Order: sequence, then structure tokens, then C-alpha cells
Amino acid sequence: MKLNKFLLFMVIAALAVFAAACGAESKDADKANPEETKSNESDKTVEKLEGSVVIDGSGTVYPLMARLAEEYMLNEQENVSVEVSRAGTSAGFKKFLVENGTDFNDASRQIKDEEAAEADKHGIEVKELKVALDGLTFVINKDNDWASEMTPEQLISIFKADGGVTKWSDINPDWPAEEIKPMGPNENHGTYEFFYEKILDKQDLVSNVNLQQDYSTLVNLVSEDKNGIAFFGYGYFVNNEDKLQAVGVDFGNGVIEPALDTIAEDGAYADFTRPVFTYLNINKAKENPQVLDYATYVMNNINKFAGETGFAPIPETEVNESIEFLNGLKK
Amino acid sequence: MEHVNQTKVMRRMNFRLFKNSLSKYIFLLATLFGLVVLAILIYRVVSQGIAWIDLDFITGKLSTQPERAGIMGAILGTFWLMLVVAPVTMFFGVGTAIYLEIYAKKGRLQGIIQTNIANLAGVPSIVYGILGLTVFVRVMDFGNVILAGGLTMSLLILPIVIVASQEAIRAVPQHLSEASYGMGATKWQTIKNVILPVSLPGIMTGAILSLSRAIGETAPLVVIGIPALLMPFPGGILDKFTVLPMQIYYWTLDSSLVAEYANLAAATIIVLLVALLILNSSAIVIRNKFQRKY
Repeated sequence: MKLNKFLLFMVIAALAVFAAACGAESKDADKANPEETKSNESDKTVEKLEGSVVIDGSGTVYPLMARLAEEYMLNEQENVSVEVSRAGTSAGFKKFLVENGTDFNDASRQIKDEEAAEADKHGIEVKELKVALDGLTFVINKDNDWASEMTPEQLISIFKADGGVTKWSDINPDWPAEEIKPMGPNENHGTYEFFYEKILDKQDLVSNVNLQQDYSTLVNLVSEDKNGIAFFGYGYFVNNEDKLQAVGVDFGNGVIEPALDTIAEDGAYADFTRPVFTYLNINKAKENPQVLDYATYVMNNINKFAGETGFAPIPETEVNESIEFLNGLKK
Repeated sequence: MEHVNQTKVMRRMNFRLFKNSLSKYIFLLATLFGLVVLAILIYRVVSQGIAWIDLDFITGKLSTQPERAGIMGAILGTFWLMLVVAPVTMFFGVGTAIYLEIYAKKGRLQGIIQTNIANLAGVPSIVYGILGLTVFVRVMDFGNVILAGGLTMSLLILPIVIVASQEAIRAVPQHLSEASYGMGATKWQTIKNVILPVSLPGIMTGAILSLSRAIGETAPLVVIGIPALLMPFPGGILDKFTVLPMQIYYWTLDSSLVAEYANLAAATIIVLLVALLILNSSAIVIRNKFQRKY
């Protein structure tokens, strides 16, 4: 009995040690490799940087920034750890505008006055970098064969309180007399704030609007409800084109479908287009070369990766302005 | 017997027999309900994820590109997290249990402490996350590193470990400890030589089961702020980290952007389930092997 107990203990202990060794080993291997390549490539002119770059903020901008961070770590600076989080635009600013805060904050809206005041209070110099354009896209069910084209006024009347529209037939007598189910992202999202402030002009939303935290929930809800209509960033539509259809919008000169070329700065879809940003802590960029280097990398490559993550590129002149500014920070 | 109305009894008999067999099927249904739901869940997860599990997935680094994404960072993160959680929880959990059971005088104070511990076990895990964010990440200024996450998780499972350890210590037969005292042993000698060895299987079972809860928890770590993209592997308790359930959470969240993320999440769920299964079965093995009758 005693022996059995002893043996079992030994087995468990051995397993634990083995597991620990495994963990340590792969970790060492991981550490050793970059070291090797580093010495191999030391004749390269590129300066090898290390340390970390901490990014938080908008979940909408996250896919683009995560893609860039990964490419940067794989191809540029393998000893720099770029950490990308996605607490949301407003929550991100709270972590950005404190002492020892994050280096970047992704934002799907511009910084607010009170947030800028907070930055001043802490002596944080902030640079706004416009990174891409996103088109607010209205989506409906695939089986909805009547509402695939609308005017901005009609769309607003669906979402606005007292818009006088509860059924499709209220918009057009030829459309079915069925109740419309308006949906959208909730107040935690910069997309909501953009819709509420810029499209609805701060008028109240209709009381039966279904506001959700997760975009995947919205995609499912609309794909299952013939009378559903929702709004979100273009990226979420383009990746679910098999389940949803976008509403073409008639801004006055014919129907415009949201697409990467119409979302552009002066594109035909510009009325529903919003810029997305990342905000850089200039103090940090001056102190830490890897932060500045990463910022420069982002601006140099931003238009290369915008399209595949569902964003429209920004004009080259704006890219160059940002790069010039960043170069000015270099010592 | 003639006082019993035979026809009346016979009339009700069928109904009684019917109720008797009905109850059996109701209880069977209750049992099957949980099992069927579990089976559907496992079937869906396995059918979605099994094809994505290979060596590259297990040993690879995190990536935004599904075909090259791996979860070694999350596995190591979970491992390091447990390296903090296990010793901290065992020390404070068993220590508290020994004090309450053996040293503390049974009285009002002990009653208050006892009630509080029982209530703490029911506090939602996200509340512990807020506590951890305030105390470990901000006030003690660890940042969102493994140490802070581990201490938060320890707090979360401490009440469960304390209660389980108390039960185990209480189950030690009185005559054993009294024999020890009778031989002139001190309290500490009795604890060390009699109470702990006898109650160890019970304590270990509780500890391992609560560790597997800590491995599967997401909410406290969401609050503490775990990066969604973190490529370097953690190498110590002061490194940034991610864990398996966080990875499942983030991939599920983004599955409407990249459809393959759903497969990656399913594959990660399988890995997590296997890890939990190993842990839980080791708890059963320990209990069965070490249990003795007195």
C-alpha cells in the first residue's frame, strides 16, 4: 500500500517535471532562434529593435491593426512584441490617456473634447493618424426582394423615433405590410456613435431597435429574419455576402452600392463613409524607437492591407503627410 | 378485507400503475436531456474543429491568418497561469481550512468567516476580475501579466478550495487525532502526521477540480485585459500572456469576419476539453488510490 502510494507520487512528480521541462524547452528554443537570425542578419542596415508596442481601442479597426502588427513582427522586427487589444474606442481612450498608458489607441471616431482635455491634463501629446475609410452599410435579408434600394431619408425614417415608419408599406405602398425589425450595434461601439451623431443627427432611435454587442449576432439575426435591417461597417458585410445583401443607397444621383471604390474619400458613397483612426502617444514615440518605427511601418503599409480587411484606402497625400510628421519625430 | 371497497381500489389501481411508470420516464428524460445536449455540443465542436488540429496548430504562433494560426502561446500561457494559481491557492486554501477547523474557536467570529466564505463562492467571476484589475494590475502595478492573472484566478477559486479542504479535514476520524494527542503530540505534529495525510485525497480532489475551473474561466481575464493578438510566448510570470479560453472567445467573436475562425475556436475547444479531461480524471485517480477506510 505504502509503496503504491509512493510510486504514484513519483509518476505524478515526473509528469509535472516533464511538463515544466517541455514548457521551458520550447520557450528557450523560441528565444534562441531570433538570436541566431539576428546575428546572421547583423550586416543588414536595418536597426534591430526590441521591446513592446501596446495597442488598444476599437474592435472595428482591430482586424486591420492586427494584420499590420503580425506582418511587422514576421517581416520587420521579430524581437518587438506588438500587442493588439480591442476594448473598444472609448474604453481604449481610458487606457491611453493615463500615465504609462498604451502607445496607440485605435478609434472608429474622432477623439472627443473631454478626451483631449484629459490628454492635456496628463501632459500627453497625441497625434491623430487617419488609417482607413469605412462605409456604413445597411444590410437586409437575402429573401427581401423589395427594399434593396432606398434613399438616405427612407433609411433614417426606419431608425428614427417618430419617423412614422413601422411597416415596410409605410415607406412604399407596394411593399409588404409587415413590421420592420431595425437592428444595430449597441452604444459601446464607435459605429453606433457615428450613426447616432452623423446620420441621425442625434435624434432618438426608434424604441423597438434591437442593439447588440456582437456583430456576429447581428449577421445571424438579419440572415434569419426577412424583415430585419441592420447597419455596421462594410467589412462585416463583405465577409458575409453569402448570408446578407446590402441596401443600395440613392443619394440623389442614382443607386450606389457600398464597395471599396465607392467608399473612397470623394466616392459616391461618401455620405455614409467615415474615417477610422489610430491615435499615437507622441511622448512614447519619442522615448521608444520601436513605437515610432511601428507607427512609420503602419502608415507605409496601411493601404496595402486596408482592402483585404474590408476598409477603403486613404489618399496617398494623407499617408505622406502622416509619414512626414513621423519622420520629424526622429532624432 | 371486506371493509375495503374492492371496485374503488381497482378503479384507482391502473392510474397508480400509470403514474409509477410515468415517473420512471420523466426521470429518464431528465437524465437524457443533459446528455443529449452535451452530445450535440461535442459533435458540433469535433466536426468543426478536428480537421484543424495538427502539430502546426498545437505548436504554432498566433496569427490573423487561419491557415498559419497556432495556439502554443495560449497553451504555455495556461501552463504558466496554473504555475501561479496552484501553489498560491493550495497554501492559502489549505491554510485557511486548517485554521478554521483546528485552531479557531467555534463562535460568532468563526461563524461570520464561514458564512462569508460560503457566499464568496457564489460571487460572479467577473467581479473577481474587477477586483484583480484594481488590486493587482493597478494598485500593485503588476500590469496585465501572468502574476496578476494568476492571483486573480486564485482568489476566484479560493472559497471552493477552502470549503472542500474543510470537508476533508472534518472527515478525518476523531479517534485518529485524539490518539495522536494522547501520545503527547503537539497540534502541529498532529496536523502534519495525522490530519493532512488522511485528508490529502479530499483536499487534492477539491483543488484539482477548482483548478480546472480556473483553466476554463474567461470573464476575469477579459476585465484584466488580455491582448487579442500576442505573438511571443510567455517565459515567466511577469510576461504578458493569453490563455486557451481567451483565444476561443476572440476567435468566436470574429467568426463573422473570417469564417475559418469558427473552426480555429472549435479546435481550441477540443484541446481545452482534452486538458480538462486529463485534469479531472487525475482527480478521480488520486481520490480512488489514496482513499483508505478507518
